[in-house]
Amino acid sequence: MTAIDPRVQEALDGERDPTTLPAELREAYARLTAAAALLREPPATSVAERVMAQIRREGPAPRPRANWLLRPVTFRLRPVWTLAVAAAAAAVVFLPFKESATPGAEEGVAQFVGHFPGARSVEVVGSFNDWQRGALALRDEDHDGIWHGAVVLPAGQHEYMFVVDGERWVADPLAGRYVDDGFGAGQQNALLIVRP
Amino acid sequence: MTLLLLLLLQNPHARLEGRVPTAALPGLDSLIAQAVAESLPTEPLVQKALEGGAKGIPVARLVNGVRHGLVQLRDARAIVSRSAPARAALDGDVAAVAAALARGLDPGLIERLLSADTEPPGPVLHAAADLVAHRFPADSAAELLRAAQQQGLHGTRLLDVAVAASHELQREGGRTPTEALARVRAMLPNIPVATPPHPRTVTRRPGRGS
Repeated sequence: MTAIDPRVQEALDGERDPTTLPAELREAYARLTAAAALLREPPATSVAERVMAQIRREGPAPRPRANWLLRPVTFRLRPVWTLAVAAAAAAVVFLPFKESATPGAEEGVAQFVGHFPGARSVEVVGSFNDWQRGALALRDEDHDGIWHGAVVLPAGQHEYMFVVDGERWVADPLAGRYVDDGFGAGQQNALLIVRP
Repeated sequence: MTLLLLLLLQNPHARLEGRVPTAALPGLDSLIAQAVAESLPTEPLVQKALEGGAKGIPVARLVNGVRHGLVQLRDARAIVSRSAPARAALDGDVAAVAAALARGLDPGLIERLLSADTEPPGPVLHAAADLVAHRFPADSAAELLRAAQQQGLHGTRLLDVAVAASHELQREGGRTPTEALARVRAMLPNIPVATPPHPRTVTRRPGRGS
């Protein structure tokens, strides 16, 4: 970048009368003053703005008539796409939907969470499934040792336990309510009260 | 299919076969037959037997556990009958009282709570058991629940009362159980409602015997 002569700078800053500048510097002063004036001007209207202004002047496009519903429409589809569309339609019609998990009036959602680092499997077994193994498995997708699951259950009281790795019975440490299982070894079941 | 399922549910022996050791079946059948003869609910006994079978409890302890359940049902029915002599004891009420006994609630307290309430006893008994489990004096707990009922709180809302009391007990600075109960009583009937869980994935209840 070319350095500005200090005398020109003084003139630009209003600290010196520009007419007192030497002739060779007066020309530089004039160019710099013109450039500054150019920068102060508002920018010229862009092409895009001009186009948009024209559109606004012309007003909104006329609304299409509503009879398009009655007009026949022709689709052109490659055969390979017709197969894909047919497969998607079949999937919607024939594949079973997942059962709704919205609780009914006399049901509620029970959520189970347990911290079992290193476990290979954790399931919930309780009075709500006749103490049947394999009916409600918890998940740990991110392998952080926190196993969780949720299920819709009838409102009321349910006793349950976690079964870790298919063999270790553990009362849910977060249940808050416990009841002696009555088999004489002092083991407790977790107690869950499901609200409708 | 539904009829078949109903018949299966009504036949405890069929539900227990293959789920409990064969050696335990005669003893269990006998206990369940006694319950039927005394018009007591059999489902809690079937559940206890299935639980014992699933846990691999040895035969003698399994049968004893179910026998203990039968004794609790008898005690429960006596409590229900004393607290409401004018009406027949419903199976659900008997089972709820038996569950409260299993949670260690004092029979006298149960009877008092039942006498003061005409609703299904499950929630109020659980609320009382929750309070007692948090070391609140049983009598004070019963008084608080009675006050809550008089202020219009019923059913599972009574569980919120117990939760509020335990929260008051755990507040920073420390409150005695008496102070916590007084604080909750002053809040009545504006007790916070427990927030239901909103998990990302909810599955349907795994069906019985599935």
